[in-house]
Amino acid sequence: MNIPIWFGPAAVVLITWGIAGLLQKLSTNHISAEMALLGLVVGFFLLDPWLYPKESLLMYSSRSLVFALVSSLLNALGAWALLAAMKNGGKASIVVPFTALYPLVTVSLAPLVLNESITALQGGGVVCALIAVVLLST
Amino acid sequence: MQVPLVLKEKWFWYSVLSVLCMGGWTLLGKLGTTEISAPTMQFLYPFGWVPVALACLWVRRFKLERSLRGNLYSISIGVLGGIGGLSFFAACRTGGNTSAITAATAMYPLITVVLAVMILHEKLTWVHVVGLLFAAVAFVLFSL
Repeated sequence: MNIPIWFGPAAVVLITWGIAGLLQKLSTNHISAEMALLGLVVGFFLLDPWLYPKESLLMYSSRSLVFALVSSLLNALGAWALLAAMKNGGKASIVVPFTALYPLVTVSLAPLVLNESITALQGGGVVCALIAVVLLST
Repeated sequence: MQVPLVLKEKWFWYSVLSVLCMGGWTLLGKLGTTEISAPTMQFLYPFGWVPVALACLWVRRFKLERSLRGNLYSISIGVLGGIGGLSFFAACRTGGNTSAITAATAMYPLITVVLAVMILHEKLTWVHVVGLLFAAVAFVLFSL
């Protein structure tokens, strides 16, 4: 069996974000979505001392730095919207799977933005994901 | 024609907004990792969150909530989210197909759902269970 090299880090993502999904609901049981997002940013910054780059940021092109910052800005908006969904009556077991269907956007736009091709199987995945959105939001 | 009830729910539209933003995040994140290392991407990450955090503070008129439990949970989300984000960028840096990596890592709600049912005792209807099955199939198909 030929396991892709990206499966290892992807497994870490699954576990950490899976637990974080539960904590999102637990935190919004006690505080507002906005306050939860502030705590989340504090948590992010707590990791930064360990991630401080050895190289100067100036060695990167401004284009890549803009991509990095805008992507995190979009992620922040996405996370706030997710927390707001939970605060406005969404169940964790529905909102989290629903919002995790963002690969629909990725798969749809990757051929245009990244010049990555989409296979017939991935196209089938898009259909299944759309059905899942409808069922999960029923 | 009757408008489905869910379309009147705020949580639904917040969720749609989240999906759109997260999709943009993965695409731009991939573009960023073509040059920038995973740890540096994650280092830069919180800075992109600052404008949204400031907007949240402004919405709250700079009043903080004092729930220790709520704040600890949210800080833990940040730490776990950061570790996950670092791993996501590392996966992107391997040169794998972005759609496949995004879809595979997006399977994390299956873990959340199991934990939500076990710990929060949330109930799922059979329609939701079928929805989760479709989501799982979608994720697998994305990664093939």
